[in-house]
Amino acid sequence: MRIGVCVKQVPDTDSQLRIADSGRWIDDSDLNWVISSCDLCALEEALLLAEAEVSRGEERPELVVFSLGPARVEEALRKALALGADRAVHLADEALQGGDALADGRALASAVAGERCDLVLTGAQSDDLGQAATPAVIAEILGCPYAWLVMAVELNRRRRSLRVVRELEGGMNEVLRLELPAVLAIQAGINRPRFASLRGTLQARKKPLRVEDRAGLGVDAGLVGAAGAGIETESVTLPPAGAGGVVIEGASAEAAAEELVAHLQREAVL
Amino acid sequence: MWLVEAAGGGPGTQEVRTCGQALGGNCRGALLEEERLGPYAPGLYAEALRALIAPEDGEAPAVPIVVLLPHTYQSAEYAPRLAVRLGAAYIASVSGATIDDGGSLRFRRSILQAKLQAEVRPKTRTVVATVQIGAFGGAESAGPPDHVVEVGRPADIDEHRERETLGREAAGAGGVDLASAERIVTAGRGVGGPDEVSVAADLAAALDAELGASRPVVDNGWLPREHQVGSSGHIVTPNLYVALGVSGSIQHLMGMSGSRIIVAINKDPEAPIFSVAHYGIVADLHEVAPALTRLLEARRSG
Ligand SMILES: Cc1cc2nc3c(=O)[nH]c(=O)nc-3n(C[C@H](O)[C@H](O)[C@H](O)COP(=O)(O)OP(=O)(O)OC[C@H]3O[C@@H](n4cnc5c(N)ncnc54)[C@H](O)[C@@H]3O)c2cc1C
Ligand SMILES: Nc1ncnc2c1ncn2[C@@H]1O[C@H](COP(=O)(O)O)[C@@H](O)[C@H]1O
Repeated sequence: MRIGVCVKQVPDTDSQLRIADSGRWIDDSDLNWVISSCDLCALEEALLLAEAEVSRGEERPELVVFSLGPARVEEALRKALALGADRAVHLADEALQGGDALADGRALASAVAGERCDLVLTGAQSDDLGQAATPAVIAEILGCPYAWLVMAVELNRRRRSLRVVRELEGGMNEVLRLELPAVLAIQAGINRPRFASLRGTLQARKKPLRVEDRAGLGVDAGLVGAAGAGIETESVTLPPAGAGGVVIEGASAEAAAEELVAHLQREAVL
Repeated sequence: MWLVEAAGGGPGTQEVRTCGQALGGNCRGALLEEERLGPYAPGLYAEALRALIAPEDGEAPAVPIVVLLPHTYQSAEYAPRLAVRLGAAYIASVSGATIDDGGSLRFRRSILQAKLQAEVRPKTRTVVATVQIGAFGGAESAGPPDHVVEVGRPADIDEHRERETLGREAAGAGGVDLASAERIVTAGRGVGGPDEVSVAADLAAALDAELGASRPVVDNGWLPREHQVGSSGHIVTPNLYVALGVSGSIQHLMGMSGSRIIVAINKDPEAPIFSVAHYGIVADLHEVAPALTRLLEARRSG
């Protein structure tokens, strides 16, 4: 059995972002890059599923991580290997870059199909583009069952099925049964991702990492990368300022507290 | 241009209507009803809408079509699959839409955790977009669509029902009465860690307020799930809502933007929470929140 995990490398959420001179994206020259937060949960869930199989006396599923992105992405894949994945596939080709959920989903679906994964785990939503769509595209192209916002996974290997808890609005969940192969988009909070050990980090250097290009994936150039994207970003701007509340800035903590309390008294909320 | 609005009176219907009106066009409201379609599954609903919009499978529709759905946990799950089936561009959680004289469409959406927003242009004639709930400017009463079409049941229905729903359950235990609280102090990820949640708890005590949490605070185990405010937690409307180290993501705002007075303390002057705050303090919460607590306690005993 093989579990694929898709991880995306994104700017650290605490990064100070600057809009690029082109006005179409952010200046990505000196950012701190990390694995998108839900994707770490997806990887953790794959590790937990593998460990649960082992503790049941079953053969450990193989864990393969996939990432589409430029050369820097290798670092994210090595991190995933350090955390316990067995192999990595890097979709690094220039022709694959600059896509949207449709283009990236097609490329990732080909890679996942090529590795014949029984189960694919992704994050629910990337921390940069936040489309919440790439895993749905992967499922659609593979023609397999899909669930978004997954909060618990139980694998029944004999029956080749999954019992999945999916989050709904307003503090409710639904329980689903899906058959393998399937794609599950994992929601933050399903688990607490582990940290890499020194031993894991050393081992990761020797684990196999395959670089894949468009031709190897067997997808048309017009369907992936910027050419295959259904949308084009024309500009990136700061969100408009709000309705203009009262802003207290530059005062000492005590002065700020006094000022706020005066306002709240006037508003009759104290 | 045809506009198909696939929202049936549930959450987001109003936003979908407002977005649809911004785009004009010949509008059809598509009603997806469980009684007709059977229990929801993503492949099934995607197929039902596909059959309505492009009856000839595999052929692009003859006129430009924009399909709008609310960005709910249900329609955002299957909308990308519909886009693939229609050969359409997919644009997730839009908060604005315009059409120019030449008929070119532009959509606005938040990126990078709402720190920035992007204007995107679809490259295809058919477009599927989900509309962000609570974000579409002035979602006041918009009239009904021109026609309402009932979405039919696909012929080979079982082929598309790719999963089975076994039941529903509550996500977390109750116990915290946030929905009826008069005052709430919420700890965001900016409080820094499990041991620092006490800054929020102390302020809550001084204000006689309930303690709320943003999702990462709960996901990281700093506070139990029942404290969570937002689209996947409690929707609250207190008299006073104090957000400490909360950035103001749309999912959080959906849970608290109806509060009467919103106070935000955040060190980042560009944090989106300031756009809904009536009073904002740009500062380190670890300095201001304890100062506030001390002041309130002194007033109480004094
Ligand atoms: C389907 C879905 C459902 C979701 N549901 C919810 C939900 O119900 N509720 C919810 O809250 N989120 C929800 N989220 C998550 C949401 O998208 C955000 O990730 C989350 O709200 C961010 O929480 P935060 O503001 O606490 O953290 P961050 O976005 O990390 O913000 C932390 C803030 O703290 C500030 N800060 C840091 N240190 C200090 C300091 N010393 N002093 C002052 N300020 C400081 C920073 O400037 C920053 O603005 C959901 C996401 C998805 C995809
Ligand atoms: N370039 C990528 N490489 C690997 N996985 C990706 C990539 N883009 C998106 N994904 C996966 O799809 C999820 C949802 O991304 P998105 O559709 O952009 O919100 C992410 O959390 C990842 O698991």
